[in-house]
Amino acid sequence: MTRDLLVVDRVVKRFGGLKAVGGDDGLSFAVPEGTFLGLIGPNGAGKSTTFNLISGVLKPDSGAVLLDGVDLAQARASRIAALGLGRTFQTPRAFPSLSVLDNVIVGADNEGERVGMAFSGRWRIRERALREKAAAVLARVGLSDRIGDRVGNLSGGELRMLEVARQLVRDPKILLLDEPTAGVDPSLQVKLSKILVDLHAEGRTLIVVEHNLHFLLRIADRVVVLQNGRLLSQGTPAEIKADERVIAAYLGADHAA
Amino acid sequence: MNLVQLFLAVVMFGSLFSVLTLSLNLQYARGGMINFGTVAYFAAGAYAYAIVTQEPPSGLDQYLVGLHGPWWAGFLAAGVAAMAFAVLTGWPTLRLRGEYLALTTFAFAEMLHSLLVNERRIGNGTVGLANVERPDPGSLGLPDAWTYAGAAFVLMLATALVFRHLLASPYGRAIDAVRDDEGAAEAIGKDIARLRFEVFVISAVPIGFAGALYAMITTLVSPDLFTAEVTFFVWIALVLGGERTILGAVLGTMALVGFQELVRAIPFESVRAAEIAAAGEDIVTGVLFILILRWQPFEAMMKRRRAA
Repeated sequence: MTRDLLVVDRVVKRFGGLKAVGGDDGLSFAVPEGTFLGLIGPNGAGKSTTFNLISGVLKPDSGAVLLDGVDLAQARASRIAALGLGRTFQTPRAFPSLSVLDNVIVGADNEGERVGMAFSGRWRIRERALREKAAAVLARVGLSDRIGDRVGNLSGGELRMLEVARQLVRDPKILLLDEPTAGVDPSLQVKLSKILVDLHAEGRTLIVVEHNLHFLLRIADRVVVLQNGRLLSQGTPAEIKADERVIAAYLGADHAA
Repeated sequence: MNLVQLFLAVVMFGSLFSVLTLSLNLQYARGGMINFGTVAYFAAGAYAYAIVTQEPPSGLDQYLVGLHGPWWAGFLAAGVAAMAFAVLTGWPTLRLRGEYLALTTFAFAEMLHSLLVNERRIGNGTVGLANVERPDPGSLGLPDAWTYAGAAFVLMLATALVFRHLLASPYGRAIDAVRDDEGAAEAIGKDIARLRFEVFVISAVPIGFAGALYAMITTLVSPDLFTAEVTFFVWIALVLGGERTILGAVLGTMALVGFQELVRAIPFESVRAAEIAAAGEDIVTGVLFILILRWQPFEAMMKRRRAA
C-alpha cells in the first residue's frame, strides 16, 4: 500500500450560503502517491472549485487538505506551490511580457530572485543550467521551435503546453491539470496524452480535470466523480464506466439501465 | 540667463527628477504598483538631510533636533528615511491594487505634508529649514553649479545602473511575472507580497538620496516644495518618456524640465508678463502631455532603435 500524497478531508466551501463543494459531510478523497487521478463531473459539479481549494486559491470553510501530511489550511497559494504542488488553470495563463523560454525558467525555484543574489551576479552560473533544463522541458511538450517567441504568438493549445512546461520545470510532487484538452486540436491531444502517460510511468502523481471522458478514462488509473459538489462515485475507469449513477449523471436517467 | 546657465539648470534638475522618474518606472512599469505619493519619499530624504546636518536650534527656531552632522551622514540618513517611510507606508497598503493603492499612497503623502506643516518641532512648520548646510565645492576650487549638476547626473547614472542590474537578473523576470499575472505567479511559488514590498522599498531609496541633493541645491526645505505637484510632475515625465525603458524615463524628464527652464529663462519686463508666462507654461505642459500621449514619439523612437 502506497502512502496517500494528497488527502482531502471533509472539505466544505460555501459561496454566499450555497454549498459549492462538500454536501452534508464534506468532500473527502485521497490520492495515493503515483496515482493518475481523473476528476470528472458535469458542469457545475465543483471540479475547478476543488482544484482551487487544494491549491490554496480558495480556503475551505471547514475540513482539511493535507499534502504529504502537511495541513494546507492556512498556507498561501505560493507556499503550497513551494511545498510541491503544481497546477494549471482552466484558461491558460502565460506571462505575456516574457519570452516562451523565460515563461518556463520563471517556474523554477531560482535563488537569483533574491535581491542580494541578483546584485552579486552569482545567478549567472545557475541561469545556464536552468536554460538547458527549460529547453529540455519545452522539447518534451513540443515547443522547441517556439523558444525565442513571444507568448502572444502561441495558439491556445500551445499556451496550455507552455503552462504544463512551466510546472514540469519545478518537479512538483503532484501536478493538477485543469481541462488540459480544452481548445487543443486532436494531434496535440495525442501528444498531451502521451506526455501524461509518460509522467505517470515516471511515478508522478497527477490529478486531471476533464470534460473529455474518452481522453481521460483511457489514461487515468483512478477516477473520482463529482456531482453538485459531492462525491458521486470513485474507482477504476472500468468501474466508473459501468457505474449507472455516473451514466445517469452524464447522459440523463433514461440512459441508465 | 545665458545658455550655459540654462544647460546647467536642465542637467541639474533634469537628472535630479530623473531619479524620481526612474524609481517610479521601477514601481509602476515593472512592479505594477501605482504610487501617487512619490513626493513623500523625496520630502523624507530632504528633511532627513536637513535635520542631520542642521545646527541645533537657537533663537526663534521651533525645531527640536539639529545634529550638525557631516553632509555624507545627512545623505545616508536621507536614503534610510525614505526607505523607512516606504516600509511604513508599504507594509499596510501593498495588498491593495491599482487605484486603491494610488489613493492610499496619495493620502500618506498628504499626511506627511500636513505633519510637516503643523508639527513645527520637525522643521519649523511652514517656514521650513533655511540655510541648509552643504559641502562647499569652492574650497576645492570647483564651481558650485557645475559640481551640483555633476552630482545629480552621477546620482541618476548610479540609480539607472543599479536598477538595470537588478532588472536584468532573474529578479526582474520574477517581478515581471508577478505584474503580468499574480495568480499564475503564485502557482509557481512566487511570494508576491515579498516581491512587491521589496520593489517598493528599494525604489524609495534613490528618491531619498535625490531629496538630500535637492536640499543641498536649494539650501531650503519647506512643506511648499513638497506638494503633490512634484508627484504629478514625475508622473507626466514618465508618461512622456514612455514607460518600461530607463532611457525613456530619463528623456521624458529632461524634456519636461528643459521646457520649464526655457520658459523661466525668458526675460520678462513686468510681473504681469511673468504671471502670464507661468500660466502659459502650465497650459503648454498640458497640451504637450496630450499630444505626446496621442503620438508617443519617444516610444516610437525606442522601437526604431531596437529594430535597427
